[in-house]
Amino acid sequence: MTTAPVTALIADDEEAPRAQLAAALAQAWPGLRLVAQCANGVDAWDAFLEHEPQVCFLDIRMPGMSGIDVARRIDGRVPVVFVTAFGDHALAAFDAGAVDYVMKPVDPARLAQAVERVRLRLATREAGGAPALDPAALQALLAQLAGSVRRPAPLQVIQAGVGKEVRLIRVEEVVYFEADSRYTRVVYDGPAGGGDALIRTPLKELLAQLDEAQFWQVHRSVIVNQRHIASAVRVDEGQMHLVLRGRPETLPVSRHFQGLFKGQ
Amino acid sequence: MRPGIDWSQLWYPGPTRVFSDDELARAGADRPGPTLVAVALLNYALLGFMLLQMAPAAATAPLTLLLAGTGALAGPIALRVWRQPSRRALTRWSLVGVTGLLLLLALVIRGLDLAPGSDARAWVLAVFIGLCSLLSLGWWFVAVYRAHQIEARLREQAEQARALAMAGQLAAAQIQPHFLYNTLAALQHWVQVKDDRAAPMLAALTGFLRATLPLFNRPRLALGDEAAAVREYLEVMRLRLGERLRYTLAVEPAAAAAQVPPGLLLTLVENAVEHGVTPMLGGAEIAVRARAEAGRVVVEVQDGGPGLAPGAADGVGLANSRARLAQAFGGRATLALDNAAGGGCIARITAPLETA
Repeated sequence: MTTAPVTALIADDEEAPRAQLAAALAQAWPGLRLVAQCANGVDAWDAFLEHEPQVCFLDIRMPGMSGIDVARRIDGRVPVVFVTAFGDHALAAFDAGAVDYVMKPVDPARLAQAVERVRLRLATREAGGAPALDPAALQALLAQLAGSVRRPAPLQVIQAGVGKEVRLIRVEEVVYFEADSRYTRVVYDGPAGGGDALIRTPLKELLAQLDEAQFWQVHRSVIVNQRHIASAVRVDEGQMHLVLRGRPETLPVSRHFQGLFKGQ
Repeated sequence: MRPGIDWSQLWYPGPTRVFSDDELARAGADRPGPTLVAVALLNYALLGFMLLQMAPAAATAPLTLLLAGTGALAGPIALRVWRQPSRRALTRWSLVGVTGLLLLLALVIRGLDLAPGSDARAWVLAVFIGLCSLLSLGWWFVAVYRAHQIEARLREQAEQARALAMAGQLAAAQIQPHFLYNTLAALQHWVQVKDDRAAPMLAALTGFLRATLPLFNRPRLALGDEAAAVREYLEVMRLRLGERLRYTLAVEPAAAAAQVPPGLLLTLVENAVEHGVTPMLGGAEIAVRARAEAGRVVVEVQDGGPGLAPGAADGVGLANSRARLAQAFGGRATLALDNAAGGGCIARITAPLETA
């Protein structure tokens, strides 16, 4: 094992349980370093991309994106432990041992057990061993769990203020979204013409409101409409970019999302 | 559906519903009550007495024999039909009965040697035909009467079971384990780290429990009492959620006196927090209002959440609330959910304003 501390992300939409979990983790796992403490699923996913923690502790009920949705996006890249209150969820599915969970209020003994399992999985992974559960099975399990979480209806129209007018952009006409400091740039192209506009909704919040099958996140700050992707080009080891249909610009694909484009 | 004529009743009369053994056992009373038996016997005896008074003296002996035999035959058959009031049993036992009557008739005519054309023979034949009609009608009546009785008992039992189940659900639904455990988690942490919010949180939780626990077994309570429990609930949630929850609670004094089934307002507020506030990244506001209006009480819970999901069905809590409103007020109360004008969802109960 390496001597560098293991990095972790925790997320809970309530302050007290989040602080309690942080305190309990400091006891149960002295070598752990918390790199992010998030108050909702949207921030948790964004922080995961930013900090690349080695383990995540996620509450299930969170605004924006549920803990299960975040885990689906993490897609087995790192171990996830759910933190949930009694009566919160169909816990029976967790008992398969595939996905670990602890109950709130956190019991130190139970947390120590979960921590032990996570350390074992991290050690196996470092030694080049196979993950505890193959990705497809994990996704199926999470999809089954996600079924019991209410999700808002996908966004239909984006309202962008441009000067004195408010432009209504149909979501299916969007080519891509790009984070631009505190704003999001919307690049669109429809029968009525194309263009771009700035909206106030941060990219990470938009992500949860878009249809996953149509809009692919390819970078922490880029979501692209897959219908406009012409090709993905590997530039060198670790670098990849997207070429769009009929457009000059290319979009970066960060390491986390290169698995989307693997050829068949 | 327009009730049509069931023509099969002409050739195959009797109750159409077939009861299972289990249903028959649950309905109980596998023999008719003494009153019914006494009334039947008395009427039969009266009929026999009148017939014997009217008949010529020569017919007295054969008629007495015929009437007594018929009575002995009709009773046990009526009892069988009573035990299994179905068309099949009715038809089978009616055939057995009529066959028995024919044998009895032959026995009486042959045994007493009644000559063809004699007065006695004519009387015996006429009474025989009368008894045949009377008995088929009687057995049919027994079957129908008994079937209705069983149905009524089963319906009564089903209603009792439903009321019991609803009371159980109410008790279980009142304090959500999810709410309790999350609140305790926060409380535990604040006590551990000596956070100042621990004391008000404990006070609000205690107030909520004190106000809620006695509600379980009461059919109705004053809206003002429930509003007090709701205020404690909202206070607990405000401490937990911080800035994310803002609320107002305004109950007019006239509305506070209204007697309503317990738990309705709390269910609406819990739903507003769960679906209207916690899913919002920036949180939202909840407004609880109750007013008296033209002899009715109007209760509204409005949230600033995402509004109603299209095609969303009632959850357990709402379905339960509707059932309990209907139980308390019949058709005179309503519970409606709508998208509010300024976004979010508004739930509205209207009920007759009844005070204790």
